[in-house]
Amino acid sequence: MNTITSPDTLLEVRDLRVRFATANGSAAAVDGASFDIRRREVLGIVGESGSGKSVTLRSILRLSAIGGEVSGSVIWAGRDLMSLSEREMRTIRGREISMIFQEPMTALNPVLTVGEQIRDNLEEHTTLNAEQRRQRAVELLELVGIADPDKRIHDYPHEFSGGMRQRVMIAIALASSPKLLLADEPTTALDVTIQDQVLKLILRLRDELDMGVILVTHDLGVVAQTCDRVVVMYAGRVVESGPVVDVFARPQHAYTLGLLNSVPLAHKSKKTLQPIPGTPPDIGDRPPGCPFAPRCSFATDECDSQPPMKQVSEDHRAACWHHEKVAEGSRAA
Amino acid sequence: MSRGGLFTVGRSRRPVTATLILGSIILLAFLVIGLVPGFFAPYDPIEFNYDTLLSPPSAEHPFGTDNYGRDIFSRVVWGTRVDLQIALSGTVIPIVLGTIVGAIVGYVGGWAEFFFGRIVDIVVAFPFLVLVIAIIAVLGPGLFNMYIAVSVVGWVAYARLMRSEVQIQKEMDYAAAGRGMGYGAPRIIFRHLLPNAITPVVIYWMTDMALVILLGSSLGYLGLGAQPPTPEWGVLIANGKNFMATAWWISTFPGIAIIVVGVGFSLVGDGIADLIRPSG
Repeated sequence: MNTITSPDTLLEVRDLRVRFATANGSAAAVDGASFDIRRREVLGIVGESGSGKSVTLRSILRLSAIGGEVSGSVIWAGRDLMSLSEREMRTIRGREISMIFQEPMTALNPVLTVGEQIRDNLEEHTTLNAEQRRQRAVELLELVGIADPDKRIHDYPHEFSGGMRQRVMIAIALASSPKLLLADEPTTALDVTIQDQVLKLILRLRDELDMGVILVTHDLGVVAQTCDRVVVMYAGRVVESGPVVDVFARPQHAYTLGLLNSVPLAHKSKKTLQPIPGTPPDIGDRPPGCPFAPRCSFATDECDSQPPMKQVSEDHRAACWHHEKVAEGSRAA
Repeated sequence: MSRGGLFTVGRSRRPVTATLILGSIILLAFLVIGLVPGFFAPYDPIEFNYDTLLSPPSAEHPFGTDNYGRDIFSRVVWGTRVDLQIALSGTVIPIVLGTIVGAIVGYVGGWAEFFFGRIVDIVVAFPFLVLVIAIIAVLGPGLFNMYIAVSVVGWVAYARLMRSEVQIQKEMDYAAAGRGMGYGAPRIIFRHLLPNAITPVVIYWMTDMALVILLGSSLGYLGLGAQPPTPEWGVLIANGKNFMATAWWISTFPGIAIIVVGVGFSLVGDGIADLIRPSG
């Protein structure tokens, strides 16, 4: 497996597993996910509902739901976050690594003004005094593109529109200048035009603040528009990862190919959309080999054993026995 | 229930109902009376007057007089101060203690939940009044001991309310976001969750003040709360019980006062519930 860690690496996730106890025994929501993110990079994690992408993201900050059993390692600035104490974790969360959520409606506290919520982060993580905190709150609102910031810090979340709330959420998350932003479907709840604005904002902030971004989404359009590299997850496993251009142009895993064929993309606009037959496996009852095999048109007997993550080009990896055939298939299409 | 109000307040257009206005007027009136009873009471509430024993309501004594010739109206007026004091003193420790304990238990869960559960078991195993009387029996009668007894028992109700509300709030996205920002438990519990969870507690507080006045009166009546000659409404009622057949006014007017204040608190409680219940 890939063990070369470039000096550019910001965060490394190795063999992350998250198991939940269920009535029918334990189910692995994430089953050995490994990937890394580099400085100033936007990494997309795509997959459908239940693929483990959000759990993966939350597990980086050890925020997964109670009862979840997490193993593996998450290397951040030379330290394994999995081995830190809860107290040490709190100095990472919100200060070095911040997170924004899907629903800006509910992720903001309804009874505190947005200014108070920004200042909370500053109180927790910085040594600024009250006046400096106020100034910084105004600056942050301005940074995320909210007009009249010195007035709006006194407004409550319900006085903002959905897109503006997501900007506020971003302002809170960025208050202590984190080096990495985790975004869990940040635009899913927004209108398409607002989505575009928020994504552009995230890209602009990535450049201005020199941070990495991990963007979890189920929207391949968002990935194409925003991300440098992409990790494709299926049934709790990483099935393919690589630069967005390579993965989209030459998918090496049958699932990625299926995903790309099932959505309209501008450069293939004249093709008939092909849905992937069937549904993802129950994570408590995953097939022994490749989790995608039961739905896969390339599947052979070989697929009953777990395919290893294979390096197909410099930065492009896929866990598929038939990746060459898949790649040919994608070219033919 | 209809959400229509007479008018609305705040940027979010909260309805102010007739319920709230009427209740507020009643409570405000009693509050003013309780603050300056000397201004409203024509006579001294405690001094005996043997010229006017047991006289029925008249222009001179609108509520009549008792067996010591004391003006009932003046005693009810001065009793307002005592009973409002009971309402406040009997609820302030329960609400503060109950809110803090309930919020912590609700957030922490686990072992805290277990210990709290056992305390609740003990308290709910006894009827409220019986438990309060038992504690007063140990401590001795009097207003101060009554406050202690009511507080020891009363905080549990607030804590249970707060706990269940915090259990709901801590599952909300904004609580998860707070943890994601690296906030400590005290900040999340008291700054973020508590203001969102306090509404039912405030509403219950209104009802509880009415209940505590009734309790204070009951204990006064039984001789376990305020002691004669303190003009406490329950004491007044107890004082008149021997004359019920001949001088109905001694017990009746303090009784009406208790009812009106009780209704006032209930109306305000309902009105506040309408006001702060999330709309839509």
